[in-house]
Amino acid sequence: MDFFAPVINGFGVVLEPTNLLYCLIGVVIGMLIGVLPGLGPAATIAILLPLTYGVEPVTAIIMLAGIFYGAQYGGTITSVLLRLPGEASSVVTVFDGYALARQGKAGTALGIAALGSFFGGTVAIIGLTLLAPVVAGFALDFGPPEYTALAMLGILLVATVSNGSKLKSIIAASLGLLLATVGRDTFTGESRFTFDNLSLADGLDFVPIAMGIFGLGEILYNLEERHNKVQAPAKVANVWPSRKDLKESSGAIGRGSLLGFFLGILPGGGATIASLAAYAMEKKRSKTPERFGRGAVEGVAAPESANNAAATSSFIPLLTLGIPANATMAIIFGALLIQGVTPGPQLVQNDPELFWGVVNSMYIGNILLLIMSIPLVGVFVKILRVRAAILAPITVLITVIGVYTINNSIFDIWLVIVFGILGYLMKKFGFEPGPLVLAFVLGSLLEENLRRSLLLFGGDPAGFVGRPISSVLLLVFAAVMLLPLLQKAFKKARASAPATTARHDEKERV
Amino acid sequence: MISPSHEAVTPGGSPKEAAAAGSGSPLEVPAAVEPLTAEQLATEWDEERPPHAGVLANVAAAVAAAALGAAGLAMSLAMGLGTPEKPEPGMWPFLVSLVMVVMSVALLLFGRKKLDAEAFSSSSWLVVAGVGTLVGFVTVVGIAGFEIPSLLLTFVWLRFLGKETWRMSILLSFIVTAAFYVIFVVALSVPIPHLF
Amino acid sequence: MTILIGYLPTPEGEAALDAGIAEGRLRRESIVILNSPRKGAPVDPALASEDQVAELLLRAQAAGVEATIRQPGHTDDLTDEFIDIAEEIDASLIVIGLRRRSQVGKFILGSHSQRILLQADRPVLAVKAGDKS
Repeated sequence: MDFFAPVINGFGVVLEPTNLLYCLIGVVIGMLIGVLPGLGPAATIAILLPLTYGVEPVTAIIMLAGIFYGAQYGGTITSVLLRLPGEASSVVTVFDGYALARQGKAGTALGIAALGSFFGGTVAIIGLTLLAPVVAGFALDFGPPEYTALAMLGILLVATVSNGSKLKSIIAASLGLLLATVGRDTFTGESRFTFDNLSLADGLDFVPIAMGIFGLGEILYNLEERHNKVQAPAKVANVWPSRKDLKESSGAIGRGSLLGFFLGILPGGGATIASLAAYAMEKKRSKTPERFGRGAVEGVAAPESANNAAATSSFIPLLTLGIPANATMAIIFGALLIQGVTPGPQLVQNDPELFWGVVNSMYIGNILLLIMSIPLVGVFVKILRVRAAILAPITVLITVIGVYTINNSIFDIWLVIVFGILGYLMKKFGFEPGPLVLAFVLGSLLEENLRRSLLLFGGDPAGFVGRPISSVLLLVFAAVMLLPLLQKAFKKARASAPATTARHDEKERV
Repeated sequence: MISPSHEAVTPGGSPKEAAAAGSGSPLEVPAAVEPLTAEQLATEWDEERPPHAGVLANVAAAVAAAALGAAGLAMSLAMGLGTPEKPEPGMWPFLVSLVMVVMSVALLLFGRKKLDAEAFSSSSWLVVAGVGTLVGFVTVVGIAGFEIPSLLLTFVWLRFLGKETWRMSILLSFIVTAAFYVIFVVALSVPIPHLF
Repeated sequence: MTILIGYLPTPEGEAALDAGIAEGRLRRESIVILNSPRKGAPVDPALASEDQVAELLLRAQAAGVEATIRQPGHTDDLTDEFIDIAEEIDASLIVIGLRRRSQVGKFILGSHSQRILLQADRPVLAVKAGDKS
């Protein structure tokens, strides 16, 4: 059993006490920030990046991954109890979750959501286990032209799929690419955009940028009073779902898990879209669609299974191709780079302990989530009583002191502040910060591969079309680019039909 | 939608009216749950969001981005473009800056009507003040250690930005600073400038 | 003229409400129940839920008193909020609940009820909890 030996070894890695502990820490932090409005998983992971310096790469990624999928479940709690989605991926859960809560069945909704999340997560990990080595094997043949096309497609997809204006997202992405060029040019050794500043000579570090744009930017944005609505505490009784509820929702959980898994793999996909799609699908399939919005358990089960499955499967493009599928994955990508690990097709072979350790930690994490979420819902609900004003200075201090500890450099703190202001302004003006950070992470990879391919083709850009994989990728690139224009023309032809599934324009809390 | 409005419900209405405004008829509270629709939620959330900044904000953002892109173009040209087979260091930044300028112009021409920017309000001053405290923190931290700046920063954020009570602010800022000292200096022995 | 009652879902708050309703019936005046949570947290146990609000209004109705409830969130200073509303509705009486505390406890903790007692320029009735069986 050649295939399974490293998988089993991976379990050995996970079961080391340190890794178990960090998995637990990650999942708990994830649940907490999922419950609290304001900071999202990307911001939290960015702020906690300095913490990962001192630990082993496996341990670090296990914790960061735990934060990511833990947050998916935490967001559900507030959706159900307070009609206040903690994360963008739990927006659709509000419809039926809150309706159930008003009928005194909040416990049922939360229990079903926890079970669905667990099941969705587990399905996705099994899928990841089977699919990832295949994709990685396929991608081993990729040369610079393929990587160029893939990186461009990845950036474009994240920019166009994200909420908000596509033009603005592409502008943000190009700013990210531009920032990645600061410092010494790897080919010629010439300094670019350094303004003769020694601190810039080696280029900009990923950590201060991620911490500034996601972390501090988010904190500053939340300083303006936003969460003004106060609600009375909700009561949670009997968390265990009844046999009837389980029976009703089992199909929805299965379908949601599969749909979420596939949507999560696509670059630019991810938990939010998966949950929206799963809800829409379940409503369409149902014989009694009028029950949706009035407390249908399927309306909670499907999106919750889907968002957890998607959160897990979005690790596939990152770990096998080295292309992060969304903003949070971009930060985990950065965290791996910091650790000296380059995610890509070679990862499964060169570093099986890390690969399988991280993948298998998700089983443990999901079990921990299930154990914690059902009996401890009350504890997490109590956390909602903490005022945002009290958390703000604590997070801001963690950010500035944390970034200092990486290089013992005051300059890095200044960078965080500058990028924090940029992140705040971007959010104010409707620019998504995700594409910028993603483009920054992929920037040097993209430039390097582009120049290598051009060398390969002897300077002829038409060479990209000559290779099958890169030409297909570029075709998809062109299609994605032109799609919005076609849609616009199509929409103009038809009278406008205001069929928004949910508020698509909601700013994704990162 | 039954939500107790956070302003006056019915000022001086009859008990019956007041009760009705509170939540249906009080006796049948849990009985009927009207369905939540996406539109209802969307409008409700929209109400909570700050006002739109209008077209001008998009114009300003587009102009700023275009200017940044143009600066990138100029600097890349100065670095030299070279040819596709033998690119100079300026080639790639040139291409990226070009995309940025084109997209900014497109935003200026076609995208400015989309109202996705938020207006600045009086509470935006809180952000300015917050940044101010951070700038103060960084300027001082290298010389004075992190304890006193942390204490002051936490206090200002709690009392003036967060409008906590004096008692709460003083107490918490001491606790937070002490906790950071214990974690970073005592437990992790991170080489952060500190007084004690 | 109306009576302003400070209400929280606590024994003190309940006592204040009972006293306020009784007073309203005696004076044949309407009552305004003020239930003001602190803004900033998504959840505040000081806020009466929809069901509780309905129940409060029913209680007043049963006593034959015209009642309104107000639930504005306050950011900084509950006392100012209280005094402003008393001013606005021209309250003839303010009813609040007091917790029993020692002198020292009072000195350390300070309290909104104390400040309302001192600062309001109209009659204040302070009630204590625990007299009810």
